Amino acid sequence: MSDTRMDIDPHSAGRDLASLVLTVVELLRQLMERQAIRRFDSGELTEDQEERVGTTLMLLDERMTELCEQHGLHREDLNLDLGPLGNLLSHESR
Amino acid sequence: MSVTQHCPVGPAGNVGSSVTYVFAVCGPGRPGPFAATCGHTGGGPLRLLAVGPLWAVVQDVPAVTFSETALHRRLTDAAELERCARAHHDVVTAAAAGGPTVPLPLATLYLSHERATAALGANLERFRAALGRVAGRVEWGVKVYVVESDTTARPAPSAPPETPQPGSQRVSGRAYLSRLRHRQHSRELNRESALAAAEQVDRAVREMAVGSVRHRLHGPEATGRDRTQVMNAAYLIAEERGDELATTIRRLRGSPGFDNIEIEVSGPWAPYSFTDGGELAGHQ
Repeated sequence: MSDTRMDIDPHSAGRDLASLVLTVVELLRQLMERQAIRRFDSGELTEDQEERVGTTLMLLDERMTELCEQHGLHREDLNLDLGPLGNLLSHESR
Repeated sequence: MSVTQHCPVGPAGNVGSSVTYVFAVCGPGRPGPFAATCGHTGGGPLRLLAVGPLWAVVQDVPAVTFSETALHRRLTDAAELERCARAHHDVVTAAAAGGPTVPLPLATLYLSHERATAALGANLERFRAALGRVAGRVEWGVKVYVVESDTTARPAPSAPPETPQPGSQRVSGRAYLSRLRHRQHSRELNRESALAAAEQVDRAVREMAVGSVRHRLHGPEATGRDRTQVMNAAYLIAEERGDELATTIRRLRGSPGFDNIEIEVSGPWAPYSFTDGGELAGHQ
């Protein structure tokens, strides 16, 4: 019963902060991914650039998974409830 | 006057500091019976309070457990919130079974019967209009989900590439980018078809409804991770059209384009979404 209450002990506060920071990082990562796909589609990138952008995104994605694991979070846990606007992240990419 | 007989009567049933909890406004016929429901634990018996020609279903509850601070504490506790919500909902459901009912929001409280009568009476005409609108009608909830298929799931970066390059240790950047792109495009298609399906459901149900409301979508914590909610709506439908609704939903489920679409129907409910109960009770 008590675990369903709001808990403000220091450990969980630190975890909440980590989750908030990672949520923002995840938002930026998703935006970068979308931007990269748009440029890939438009054909403005050279093969070499495509290779580098792709590798960067892949590493970023791996790093994100690692960071989540380190903080005991799942990628799907990262989100912000924006009330009537819905959630910040769509988690369309799972 | 008391309308229940078999409930344990709390201290508020006797003399003591109590406040008036209002569940719903009904009428003009006498609502009830409330034999199967007791209201909130620790409160007195359920009573009917005359508000002009209408009836408010009320209960005297202990002021100490329903004070602002006590309520705040109790309603942030999931188990306690559920208990309160169920008690509230049971009384509203019993009232609605007896005739047109305007459900009031959880924890609608007044200091005394007199205050309740005065506050509710101030909106008498609007209560009558709301009751007229919902008379003979019930609320149905319709939710539409898209079930995530494998094609939209995230490819693990370490997964073998679709066209394996002999000798390469990991996916090349270009192959990864191309896979991201493929995933995003199929996701967009999936989403478009899901929204089209939701529109089709909405259109079909609205045809038999006299009112409809779109609620905000539930996130994965409520829906589960393997499906995404694309529509969460409520419809006000004539009582006798329940079978027709069921038939329509069954037909939709079998329609082309609904392979990975789930439609959930719930009801009949008291018309929570169609009566502005909170506003009429004087809530801000």
